[in-house]
Amino acid sequence: MDFQLSDDHRMLQDSLRGILTRHTGEALWPALVEAGMPAALLTEDEGGFDGSGAAIALIFQELGRAGVALPLIPAMIAAAAFAQAGQHAEDGAALAFADAEPGTRHDRGVAISVQGDRLTGRKTMVAGAEGAAAILVTTADALWRLAPDAPGVTIRPYPMLDGQRGADLILEDAPATRLGAIADFGGPLARGVLAHSATALGAITAAVDLTLDYLKQRRQFGQPLIAFQALAHRMADLAVEVEQARSAVTNLSGHLDADPALRDRHVQACKVTVGRVARLVAEDAVQLHGGIGMTEEYALGGMIRRLLAAETAMGDADWHLERFARGEPAFA
Amino acid sequence: MDMRFTPDELAFRDEVRAFLKAELDPALARKVRLHHELTKAEMEGWHAKLQAKGWLAGNWPTEFGGAGWTPIQRHIFEEESARAHAPRIVPFGIAMLGPVLQKFGSKDQQDHWLPRILNGDDWWCQGYSEPGAGSDLAGLRCAALRDGDHYVVTGQKTWTTLGQHANMIFCLVRTSTEGKKQEGISFLLIDMDSPGVTVRPIVLLDGTAEVNEVWFDEVRVPVANLVGEENQGWTYAKYLLTHERTNIAGVGFATAALDNLQRVARAQVHRGQPLSQDPLFAAQLAEVEIELMAMSTTNLRMLSLAAQGQAPGIESSMLKIKGTQIRQRLDVLTRRAYGGQASALPTLGNEGPDDAEEALSATATWLNNRKLSIYGGSNEIQRSIIAGALAKG
Repeated sequence: MDFQLSDDHRMLQDSLRGILTRHTGEALWPALVEAGMPAALLTEDEGGFDGSGAAIALIFQELGRAGVALPLIPAMIAAAAFAQAGQHAEDGAALAFADAEPGTRHDRGVAISVQGDRLTGRKTMVAGAEGAAAILVTTADALWRLAPDAPGVTIRPYPMLDGQRGADLILEDAPATRLGAIADFGGPLARGVLAHSATALGAITAAVDLTLDYLKQRRQFGQPLIAFQALAHRMADLAVEVEQARSAVTNLSGHLDADPALRDRHVQACKVTVGRVARLVAEDAVQLHGGIGMTEEYALGGMIRRLLAAETAMGDADWHLERFARGEPAFA
Repeated sequence: MDMRFTPDELAFRDEVRAFLKAELDPALARKVRLHHELTKAEMEGWHAKLQAKGWLAGNWPTEFGGAGWTPIQRHIFEEESARAHAPRIVPFGIAMLGPVLQKFGSKDQQDHWLPRILNGDDWWCQGYSEPGAGSDLAGLRCAALRDGDHYVVTGQKTWTTLGQHANMIFCLVRTSTEGKKQEGISFLLIDMDSPGVTVRPIVLLDGTAEVNEVWFDEVRVPVANLVGEENQGWTYAKYLLTHERTNIAGVGFATAALDNLQRVARAQVHRGQPLSQDPLFAAQLAEVEIELMAMSTTNLRMLSLAAQGQAPGIESSMLKIKGTQIRQRLDVLTRRAYGGQASALPTLGNEGPDDAEEALSATATWLNNRKLSIYGGSNEIQRSIIAGALAKG
């Protein structure tokens, strides 16, 4: 049992932290690519050089903490799924993942249907759909590879809650390639859940740290806010819950390569725990700040929106809790 | 990062399991599972079996006769023991006083008292809380006045767990009323058979009397029984509390309680189906199981830090809060699973319905485990400790 980062992963973390302090905006993506971050998310078989749970967890925690809004997660899931199906994407190609559907909470195949090898219907909140070289699409029980320039494909882009660009994907008898049953792609999808959860954990720690700083600086009734027990105890409870979320991410990252039944229990537990803590932190961080926490100008706002987005990505806490309770696989 | 146990750790787990299978009497395990009070002889008998194996003091270094286990080994032992419903090791000598004597005691004190803890010559209890000093422990008043080569101790201690079995008590006593209240406290070892010591049981909600009041009326204690320096007792007390809290998460106990709850939920009927298949109950059960999965890893992460020599700080406070929340939640669900039968009165003993013994134990456990969020520094005190550290950090 060893919870330490390996030397390689420590170097990766240092390098990533350096990039995140030196680059912002448009310059960030090329810097991340140059430092090999996207490749670190994939195994050698998939065209990368790492792809371990530890690497995924540390990279997305740093990105989540820094508030980076880049469609790295869909690119990672799609690249891993394509590679598993023997259809490797080009190195560094932009890839998207179309999973959520309108008209349902988190079911698949409600707004999209399959006829032969053609898809009809709608997917929503597809991060990185604009300019993607290929899109990984879920239907009721299968995964598909879709070319964005295929006939019958319309992409309607818009900004999303977490700061990324997303789109609705509208399909009318659009030709696609079936990769296989969702149930057989639990590995790539579990990595997606880990990435979303680690991103949320990064945002959780950033929001809690910001809140603590505020409680130490802001004075009312002649005292810093942290001196008031009602607030101090809520802060302590948040600190306890942050450790629960951190452990849930650790558990999933350490069980990505476990047998699928065990891995899926950790997928579900991770979504339940991190989803619950993300929402708790979003609510309490605003409450503990007071009015300033609701302003667009203050740094907390972006964190809150990213926490809310992470809560629903790839199934929310309730959805995964039900499957955990029923002993069902995480993805089927 | 590697979350798997090493081959050595797995081999150790197998050895613990084999030991429990060979040495733990099923009748005793049943009593533990049903939360029946154990006799002194039963507890001493289990200690003796562990000591014969060299496992009684897993937390002590080998130089003092302990097993010198790593934190991970201790975790494995505690979890396996709890799941097998082995009696818990009475903590006062092994987990509390032992480490204090090893760190702050004189060579003579170590040579005299430590072997007696291991071989069962002494049964220790803890004299910390007083009627007027609970969460505000440093406000304690039990006085020790120097008289030649003795201290004369007068005052009262309370919540003294298993004090009815003890022949020795380690006490925080007031040796000075000057300066800060923390600076006038000393750590004294007192023979319970001394003239002037009175022990009276306190009956609790679950009908047991595991805690006591202890009075000292001009009890003469040799100065040789002072641990460390006079008026430095608060430092030793805090050190002891830190050690008391290293297993405060109670992962093993929670895991055993979860095993039990799942068994009960499969057996109880709801709408013609096992209760475990009821969506509402299953969701509540899943929630607490998921909480335990995370807390168990939080515990291992903290143990792993401890193994690298980093002293437990607010981490133990965090584990205390979350660990006790989980155990109390499990108690709630277990009681609820039994339905109406859980209204049997635990204090009735065998007078209830013949088949209500298990339901009765669920209620007794609920009642008894209210203590979890109160003792060892209440959960509110732990929150203040955490917040205090965060405010400074």
